[in-house]
Amino acid sequence: MGEVLVLGLISGAIYALFAIGVVLVYRGTGVLTFAQGEIGTAALYAASFLVVDQHMNYYLAAALAIAFAGAIGLVFNGVFVRNMKDADPVTTAVATVGLTLFLLSGEIVLFGQSPAELPTPFTWNFTVFGIVVRAHQIIALGMAVALGFGLQAALRKTDFGLGILASAQDPAAARLVGVPLSKVQMTLWGTGAALSGIAALLVEPTVGIITPGYASELFIGGLAAAVIGGLTSLPGAVVGGIVLGIVQAAGNKLLNNKGIPGLDYIVTLSLMLVALLGRAYYPALRKRMATGSQAAVVGAQA
Amino acid sequence: MSAATLTSRAGQARRALPVPGIALALVLAVVVPLLAGELGLSQGRALKLCGGVALAIAALSLNMLLGYAGQISLGQYAFVGVGAFTTGLVTGVDQLRLPWLAGLLAAAVVGAGFAFLVGLPALRLKGLYLAVVTIGLAYFCSQSLFAFNAIGGGSAGRALPPPYFGSSAVTSSVGLLAICTVVLVVIWQADINLTRSRFGRAMRAVKADEAVAASFGIPVARTKLLAFTLSGAVAGMAGCLAGTATGTVTGNTFDYAHSLLLVGIVVIGGLGSRPGVVIAALLSSVLPDVIIGIFGNGFRGYDIVLNAFLLMVTVTVQPHGFAGAVAEARERQAIRRGGEPPLPPTRPHLPDLGRPVGMPAPRKTRPGTAVLQASGISVRFGGLQAVDNASLRVDRGTIVGLMGPNGAGKTTMFNAISGALTPDSGRVEFLGEDVSELAPHQRAARGMGRTFQLIGLAKDQSVYENLLIAQHLAAPYGISAALTTLGSRTWEKQVRQRADQTLEGLGFGRYRDTQVGKLSHGQQRIVEIGCALVTSPELLMLDEPSAGMSPAAAEDLAATLLDIRDQLGRTILLIEHNVPLVLGTADELYVMDAGAVIANGEPVEVVTRPEVVTAYLGQAPEGVTA
Repeated sequence: MGEVLVLGLISGAIYALFAIGVVLVYRGTGVLTFAQGEIGTAALYAASFLVVDQHMNYYLAAALAIAFAGAIGLVFNGVFVRNMKDADPVTTAVATVGLTLFLLSGEIVLFGQSPAELPTPFTWNFTVFGIVVRAHQIIALGMAVALGFGLQAALRKTDFGLGILASAQDPAAARLVGVPLSKVQMTLWGTGAALSGIAALLVEPTVGIITPGYASELFIGGLAAAVIGGLTSLPGAVVGGIVLGIVQAAGNKLLNNKGIPGLDYIVTLSLMLVALLGRAYYPALRKRMATGSQAAVVGAQA
Repeated sequence: MSAATLTSRAGQARRALPVPGIALALVLAVVVPLLAGELGLSQGRALKLCGGVALAIAALSLNMLLGYAGQISLGQYAFVGVGAFTTGLVTGVDQLRLPWLAGLLAAAVVGAGFAFLVGLPALRLKGLYLAVVTIGLAYFCSQSLFAFNAIGGGSAGRALPPPYFGSSAVTSSVGLLAICTVVLVVIWQADINLTRSRFGRAMRAVKADEAVAASFGIPVARTKLLAFTLSGAVAGMAGCLAGTATGTVTGNTFDYAHSLLLVGIVVIGGLGSRPGVVIAALLSSVLPDVIIGIFGNGFRGYDIVLNAFLLMVTVTVQPHGFAGAVAEARERQAIRRGGEPPLPPTRPHLPDLGRPVGMPAPRKTRPGTAVLQASGISVRFGGLQAVDNASLRVDRGTIVGLMGPNGAGKTTMFNAISGALTPDSGRVEFLGEDVSELAPHQRAARGMGRTFQLIGLAKDQSVYENLLIAQHLAAPYGISAALTTLGSRTWEKQVRQRADQTLEGLGFGRYRDTQVGKLSHGQQRIVEIGCALVTSPELLMLDEPSAGMSPAAAEDLAATLLDIRDQLGRTILLIEHNVPLVLGTADELYVMDAGAVIANGEPVEVVTRPEVVTAYLGQAPEGVTA
């Protein structure tokens, strides 16, 4: 049990970090971004290039890689999103599909299918419930929780945060009351993409090798986490990520050695569907139950 | 079509291809590849083309979903893969050993079944949630489902035998290409039939505006589910062909990246354009060889980079892709040649078309029963009581006005009556029947027609197309009739006839093929009323029809409303701010303020009541009388 919890928190933290970026962009612009994962992979290749080929200090390289990820988001926003003739959310989402494919195919032609490496400085670790927990995993969890709740507070409590929320609701009206729309968009796409780089850097030491499409596979978990958390809630994204991580860990423990391939993906898809169907049918159910109990009260009075 | 007409792609003359046409196409589909084989098309090239045709079919499947119905799928290759593995399991030598055609059919059925399941959440959810599920499905299929030995055949993959017809196997790639092109031609024709049918129109309407679609009686959720199911069937067949061409399939042939690439192909080719997406798919299947041929082996994989880049550029510059750019250029040319057509009149003479044969006759009611009786309607939006225990009654053959200052809750009341939103409490009776629990399209089927404050039309479609969309319920043929045109032709004839008559009555003949979004606001209003009337609904609900009209046009509108009441015998519920228009037409007037009905009765008398004047002008200072 404790083992499942620890493993769940470790992978859940990564899902949460990806999910936070997705929710941030979605809340601010109404666009569901699919590129969140692959931007992370690109950042990893950048970091690997700097550390392995250029012998740069890891922390400096990591900072540059995160900046590189953020820059991808900014360039994408500046070159494409801003200039769209018909910038409805579905169209923009399709553009992020283009970005994903662009990065993925770019990684394939530039680095081939042979995996890249990124030696990690995080060696400190401790053992709990028989699981070796490593430093970067603790950082990831702490960061996910801090960002999930911290960004939520920033959105609600600061003028700029409120401006972001307002511009998502009604861009034209937000602009009229003085919200700097293009600045809001830049901030969101830049921050979201940088978060993707952070998430990828924090999960990489657990796996150890980098391949094209690497972070996109984890990003599916991030999307699921965002959906479980309601797609608009940052703390919800954190909770969703941890729930997904724990259910996956539990599934692996229960069904270990049963020879089921891709168990994690079965869990991810199932939880996505449960969350969506729950979201779809719960309001109607609640209403029916409420009217049902009302009728009962009326009946009792009569 | 005259040169002066502004042609929109959607509105081009839509005659079903006569049977000899499809027969000719099928013969060509067989003869051309075989002839090309005789003339020196190599087996290797032919095999590549088989893959290209399969890709084109996959592109058509995504086009149905994304291009027609506006639903994004990032896991289309999951359905393609399902089709391929199904074929292997049905036809394989160590499996069921059924004929190849059974494999193709099974691929379509299982693909459709999968897509149906994925589409189920769409019945209740709006927006991009489905896209998320399709990604989850893509990874689930490629990493899990196809990795089961019983399905994917392990690391060796699953073998698909060459197609057998009787006892002779088609082993040559050229023969296989002929089979692929025949399947493409059949699907192409079915796709044409679909787009010209009520279901294709329903999909386009859903894509344009879900609320508008529902107001025309189109079941939005079921239409999306249908799009998913059909798309899954076509994708499954693409998988069968792709697998048959390669002979063996493995799980990673159908991964997420392939699905993304397909999105690129369809968007670049032009969403909604059959030729656009098919040509894009065929080109992209030869692109890798072309690039390697020109730049050398070092450029393997650059075709995908190019595709991805073009996808981003296309979405930014011309969201309708290459086909959209071509259509726009043609339109500009047509305008240059013919100039703008003259303005249509604003005072239409609508013909009495009677209830369409396909729709149930309106419920018979006892004399004295109201057409509409809404009682005790309350709607709360968060902290705002938008409608507060409001009731109203509309009698047959009358025009009932509904006035009130902005934010009084008039449109919310309308939405509660039409079913666009569910009130927290209250009851709506239509023709003596309780319709409170019915969806908007079901209320429309019972004879409620409505217009919207912000024009309720599919703006990217032509005037004529909108008149057809509005008759979704008037031609109740099924999906198989739609795909084959067997049994739908008489209905379509009737629907088109009614559209023509209405068009003529509106005086919009020359604007038949003009995109609605390109008309002036007042003209759009007239078209909207025409659409609401084309199925002869019992009750017509108009939400601020004179908004944005010139005073002269508003006068014409008043005359039109009286015509609809007196000559067509219809009943009208009318939200209006234009006091002269209401006073000139309404038989009874309700006034709402802050969600409640504050007055009702004879219009001229009601507007002078102090509480009504106060609601509009605020409290009069002491000593001043209204």
